[in-house]
Amino acid sequence: MTETNPTLDKTPDTDTGFDGAFLRTRGVSKSFHGRPVLKEADFRIGSGEIAVLIGKSGSGKSTLLRVIAGLEEPDAGDIDLAGQAVVRDGEYQDAWKDLRGQIGMIFQSYTLWPHMNVLDNLTIAPRLALGESKAQLLERAEQALTEVGMAHHLRSRCTQLSGGERQRVAIARALMMRPRLLLCDEITSALDPPVAAEVLGVLTKLKEEEGIACGIVTHDMAFASKAADRICFFEDGLIKEDVPPDRAFNDPQTPGLQAFIDAVRF
Amino acid sequence: MNSVNLAYSFDLSVIGPSLPTLLDGLWLTLEISTIVIVASAVLGFPLAVARMSKIEVIRWPAQLYIEVFRCTPLLIQLIWVFYALPALLGINLPGKLSIIVALTAHLTAFMSETYRAGMQSVPVEQIEAAHMLRLNRVQILRYVIVPQAFRQQIPTILSLNVSMFKDTSLVSALGLADLTFQGNILASQTYRPMEIFTMVAVIYFAIAFPATLLTSYIERRLLTSGSRGAQPPTPGLRSTLARLRPGQRPPALANPALKSVPKPEGV
Repeated sequence: MTETNPTLDKTPDTDTGFDGAFLRTRGVSKSFHGRPVLKEADFRIGSGEIAVLIGKSGSGKSTLLRVIAGLEEPDAGDIDLAGQAVVRDGEYQDAWKDLRGQIGMIFQSYTLWPHMNVLDNLTIAPRLALGESKAQLLERAEQALTEVGMAHHLRSRCTQLSGGERQRVAIARALMMRPRLLLCDEITSALDPPVAAEVLGVLTKLKEEEGIACGIVTHDMAFASKAADRICFFEDGLIKEDVPPDRAFNDPQTPGLQAFIDAVRF
Repeated sequence: MNSVNLAYSFDLSVIGPSLPTLLDGLWLTLEISTIVIVASAVLGFPLAVARMSKIEVIRWPAQLYIEVFRCTPLLIQLIWVFYALPALLGINLPGKLSIIVALTAHLTAFMSETYRAGMQSVPVEQIEAAHMLRLNRVQILRYVIVPQAFRQQIPTILSLNVSMFKDTSLVSALGLADLTFQGNILASQTYRPMEIFTMVAVIYFAIAFPATLLTSYIERRLLTSGSRGAQPPTPGLRSTLARLRPGQRPPALANPALKSVPKPEGV
């Protein structure tokens, strides 16, 4: 890996394998129908850190998020979560069952369930999966919606909400499961710039106030430059650069990132 | 071209005495229809799940069953169950039961395909979101997929059921005393087939028409409420379509916010 991405900003592991990063992957690979889309990805996100994944479509960034989320099984590699081994050599370990609940994911399309209102969208999973009472969940739902600036939409039907409102409710729904890591896959690509900025502002607030780790795939370079703690540039399934944003934008080390920055800046 | 025979005079006096017999037939038609519709609604679901199974030994028999019953005429299916099942397999069912079995087998195939279409119309991201929220497979099916699939397919389900109600008239060919069979008998007895079969048609219409009105009403409500399972085209699809249009920039690059990206020094 070091031969292909020499600029990776690596943090050395301690003896326990836990270096403070909430999430760490080593050599994670994934192929679809024999075509490798993710090649030996070394990646980490610390608590209270926003890592923004950038790169062309098909470069492997969404696949990495999906592998971390457990939506795709890795072909190879290790994944640690909260210092515990959840994947070893591509195989899920026992700790995965206990720790997978600490990961929340928000998708590009609005994944609210349209046949339920906002309150039901927020409470059904913690009620069924965590066994929490309805009264307790009502209070938590109000809190979660307040966090994302949607407190007045508790009883609204999802179909009445705008795109930005739906994404904020989706974030609130993910928060109801008390995640420590939020993975966001191009959640603002269909939103107008001001609305996208609002949604991404919610994530920044969560990072600062709740210490939630965020892995965000986005093409919003304005957000990436302002809010990201690290920029991970993907190309052909490889993480070519993993650096702070000022370095990514002002001093790209690889021709791929240089070309990408030039292309999006036009 | 034949001219319309306006000289035919309807003798409506035969309708009154025929009504009790016709209503007896209607009762049997409704009884068979109800049993078949309820049984198919229940049996169609496991068949749809089997049809979508990743396990081939489950999926292939389900698909074979569906195709056999979709691609052969209902009358042939009725005759086959009525006559061939006892002859080939030694299974002797009472006439009414064998007809209910055949009709149920037929409608189940169509219901399962309707359920499958509904379930597969639920966007996969919604299911993945449910998975990420730690709902198990049964909970995802129960709370996410089935309610949306069912809502979306209600018009199709109602249409299938109205068709089945009308298709029960085929059982008269096997001697079961349903509405059509009774109409046939009465037509022979009164020598007034026009009046009798017109009355039979009116009775079928009186039952089926409100059901089709209900279907249209529900369809309109679902469309206006926007609560059907499938959502408007996803942003992914929109952006894909945008890319396909000549001269159209992909939305991500057309985003004016990108203009504010800090310019690297020395470039």
